Amino acid sequence: MANLLDDKIRQQIGEAFKELREPVQILFFGSKEQCEYCDDTLMLVEEVASLSEKLSVQAFDVDDDAEIAANYNVTLTPGLVIAGMDDDGPVDYGVRYAGIPSGHEFSSLIQDLILVSGRDSGLSPQTRDFLAGLKEPVMLQVFVTPT
Amino acid sequence: MAMESDMVQAEMVEASEFRELSNQYHIMGVPDTVINHGKGKMVGAAPEGQLLAEIMKALKN
Repeated sequence: MANLLDDKIRQQIGEAFKELREPVQILFFGSKEQCEYCDDTLMLVEEVASLSEKLSVQAFDVDDDAEIAANYNVTLTPGLVIAGMDDDGPVDYGVRYAGIPSGHEFSSLIQDLILVSGRDSGLSPQTRDFLAGLKEPVMLQVFVTPT
Repeated sequence: MAMESDMVQAEMVEASEFRELSNQYHIMGVPDTVINHGKGKMVGAAPEGQLLAEIMKALKN
């Protein structure tokens, strides 16, 4: 398989991945319908995951695995769920990507992998207090572009 | 924030791949954070404290 990432980038990511602590699984959701970036996204996350034994990828199809996609609230493809991984399987922390994480978002992906791996949000005590008492669902969608 | 609470889901949306959704929320520039499907919105960078305030505001709407 041809590499999407050059040696220098792979080396930098490898360096950053020394911070990985607990296992993380990337759940990939693709579609056989028109999905311009599905193949590239899957290749990208598989390549990233190959750089650390703490990372794994599981690939799903939003139609063939409709129930799983619904469980994770994934409708847009390519879709990624950055989940913790323990003995019972993936643990959903509600971290999602819709669309290919390229450009600036590629570094966000690497940071999210490290964050989920550390099982620590790094947030302030005030924010943690508020979130701990939260009774209603909150959906945050951060719109970005690759450049 | 999503990590801290089961109630929170955080999604990064690549705006140019999902134009329909971007149009629906009138995304003009990025980053733009949409809270609870349009109840709240935060254009530009979202420092933790400000985002928290916007979420609280959105929950009251």
